[in-house]
Amino acid sequence: MDLWQLLLTLALAGSSDAFSGREKTQRMQTLIPTGRKKKCSIKKTLRLTLKATAAILSRVSQSLLSVNPGLKTNSSKKPKFTKCRSPELETFSCHWTDAVHHGLKNPGPIQLFYTRRNAQEGTQEWKECPDYVSAGENSCYFNSSFTSIWIPYCIKLTSNGGTVDEKCFSVNQIVQPDPPIALNWTLLNISLTGVHADIQVRWEAPPNADIQKGWMVLEYELQYKEVNETQWKMMDPILSTSVPLYSLRVDKEYEVRVRSKQRKSENYGEFSEVLYVKLPQMSQFTCEEDFYFPWLLIIIFGISGLTVMLFVFLFSKQQRIKMLILPPVPVPKIKGIDPDLLKEGKLEEVNTILAIHDSCKPEFHSDDSWVEFIELDIEDPDEKTEGSDTDRLLSSDHEKSHSNLGVKDGDSGRTSCYEPDMLETDFNASDIHDGTSQVVQPQRLKGEADLLCLDQKNQNNSPYHDACPAIHQPSVIQAEKNKPQPLLTDGAESTHQAAHIQLSNPSSLANIDFYAQVSDITPAGSVVLSPGQKNKAGVSQCDMHPEVSLCQANFIMDNAYFCEADAKKCIPVAPHIKVESHTEPSFNQEDIYITTESLTTTSGRPGTAEHVPGSEMPVPDYTSIHIVQSPQGLILNATALPLPDKEFLSSCGYVSTDQLNKIMP
Amino acid sequence: SLLLLLVSNLLLWQSVTPLPVCPGGAVRCQVTLRDLFDRAVVLSHYIHNLSSEMFSEFDKRYTQGRGFISKALNSCHTSSLATPEDKEQAQQISQKDFLSLIVSILRSWNEPLYHLVTEVRGMQEAPEAILSKAIEIEEQSKRLLEGMELILSQVHPETRENAVYSVWSGLPSLQMADEESRLFAYYNLLHCLRRDSHKIDNYLKLLKCRIVHDNNC
Repeated sequence: MDLWQLLLTLALAGSSDAFSGREKTQRMQTLIPTGRKKKCSIKKTLRLTLKATAAILSRVSQSLLSVNPGLKTNSSKKPKFTKCRSPELETFSCHWTDAVHHGLKNPGPIQLFYTRRNAQEGTQEWKECPDYVSAGENSCYFNSSFTSIWIPYCIKLTSNGGTVDEKCFSVNQIVQPDPPIALNWTLLNISLTGVHADIQVRWEAPPNADIQKGWMVLEYELQYKEVNETQWKMMDPILSTSVPLYSLRVDKEYEVRVRSKQRKSENYGEFSEVLYVKLPQMSQFTCEEDFYFPWLLIIIFGISGLTVMLFVFLFSKQQRIKMLILPPVPVPKIKGIDPDLLKEGKLEEVNTILAIHDSCKPEFHSDDSWVEFIELDIEDPDEKTEGSDTDRLLSSDHEKSHSNLGVKDGDSGRTSCYEPDMLETDFNASDIHDGTSQVVQPQRLKGEADLLCLDQKNQNNSPYHDACPAIHQPSVIQAEKNKPQPLLTDGAESTHQAAHIQLSNPSSLANIDFYAQVSDITPAGSVVLSPGQKNKAGVSQCDMHPEVSLCQANFIMDNAYFCEADAKKCIPVAPHIKVESHTEPSFNQEDIYITTESLTTTSGRPGTAEHVPGSEMPVPDYTSIHIVQSPQGLILNATALPLPDKEFLSSCGYVSTDQLNKIMP
Repeated sequence: SLLLLLVSNLLLWQSVTPLPVCPGGAVRCQVTLRDLFDRAVVLSHYIHNLSSEMFSEFDKRYTQGRGFISKALNSCHTSSLATPEDKEQAQQISQKDFLSLIVSILRSWNEPLYHLVTEVRGMQEAPEAILSKAIEIEEQSKRLLEGMELILSQVHPETRENAVYSVWSGLPSLQMADEESRLFAYYNLLHCLRRDSHKIDNYLKLLKCRIVHDNNC
């Protein structure tokens, strides 16, 4: 009230002010110049608005005061339909909330009116609820006479004559069956351990649902849980009224409940009463039968497996294991000599190894890295007889001899001169055809299988060799014993270089070398041969008929090898060739293969083939190659080289280039 | 719901298609009445599920909250047929009449279903779910009709072929230009379909228990 009074007074004051102000303004207007007129008008409007608001306020307050003060605290909740439900498709009932009335005056009873549309009736006729009691408070119950299934109903709730709520539905849509009754369980079986058990739960359909006549078809949902759990376990809906529950623990108590639903509708009915299941305990103690996944075992096995694999992997890196698993393809290697040494050009080691066999002095040799060392296969004499290349040569299988020779035997590293793959590489470019160089040309070799002129088929001088075989055999065998690996060093180099051929004193026939070793290649281009162990002159034991003419013709042919006998007989100076000493091997410029002995014997001879050096001439160990008549051969210098020191001579394996240079002019 | 559709479809294909032909044209087939009824009940249940889903989808998508329910009361074309409205009435009807009634209802729905499919198919942005269900319902209805006719011939061989069925004339309303009226027409049709499929399902279950199990299901 005080507020209103205040407002009223303000309003009055404002109005009075306004009035007085108006007079003043009017008076002022005449006197005040135009600039001030605006200010005065603003003031005027403000006052007017104040006045208006005051008036409004007063009116409002008046009206407010007249109003019933109790209206402020009034809040009405309208009654609403909560649920309409038909439990068996024969009757139904509807429920609503009660209205909340705080007012002094009761608005009046709530009424429900319904109508059902029939085809015949077109009018909406609202009828009142037939039964307010049977379904409880705030409900309306429609018995079977009032219920039609597939006919739509509309109901409305009225209060005080006014419609509060309205709803339309069909009875078949509001079906919610009653809960099943008579739940019970029976024990099916208990596991052998006595820890788990199976039970069968049975119940009955709600009695008001007409199952027998098929009016309703129900399906059920079962839920169960342990007593102290909070989550219910649900099973799938079933049509029958009994269901087994498997694997319940004997030591625990369970709760079971069931609810039903009409098959076609969506709404489940209420849950049944809870059934308590307490299983009988057979044994006093319960062992833990729970199966825990053996994580520990798996982890242990996994780690051990991984460890094993790791070790295998690590070991596989080692060469030994690797070799065991994957044995390498045998490469040529010398017994006792590591091929890597040769590659690296470590003279000292190689010489020491060689020294073991030959009591050589390795200190002559310098480290010429450019010099490639030939693999020397120096073996014990009493080693190897059968299966040797020689035998293969001597065998009747001449067609294959070339291939035989090409076959490497074992991994001893000894290969024959005729090894095509060895010789191919470097010699294809070269054109050595003569016999002075020990570098053999593979093409020639391929055609020829017989190192000892024993191969009849491959050589053109076949008739000449017929007589040889038998005699040649021992020498062959002997020669076989010392069979250094020929050549293959710088084939290209050697072809165009003059070769220094080391001549040594001819040894016995038995010492004639089947192969000779190129021990060194001088920078000047000379080939240094090692003194052969065996005298190749042994070959010359065979008596050959000096059919020079034939030989001559033959020499023109590309023959890789000629035995010395052949060469001898083919030398036009026949008598000279037919030297008394059989040990005197001669060589021809056609002769590709020249041993040191042969050179020794024939040293001093001039470059022509006709000249045969006399045997009485001291043959120097070394001589220089005068001409390289490619592809015919080498022509040696007649001049004898100054003999090197004994020391030098005694060197078996290698002659260093420096030493050679001393010798050479 | 699609999964249910698929599974039930599979089951139906296995169980119902086709109804066995009697060898030699004998009246008494090897297929028992029980099997026939079982299959018929399965079919009717399936059809009802489909139509319920179709209706709820349609309502949710197009007519939610428009209050059509209050308008679509009892305006189905099959209301002219004297169908029992509750259990007592259903129990009073004779078997033969009951079967004939079911057949009539099914026949009455042949044409509306056909038009429903064509109209929905022709709609712009035809709702695939509704269309597929409509097609399925049409198909299965035909099958159910065949099955019912077979049952009728078995149970009551003397029954003449009666062509009683309700004629549906709601096609123009489905094609109305006014969207509201058109939607209402569809709503009505689908609502009636759902109701009638439920009726048929119920009737068949009743009959099955009565005929096959002698009121002792």
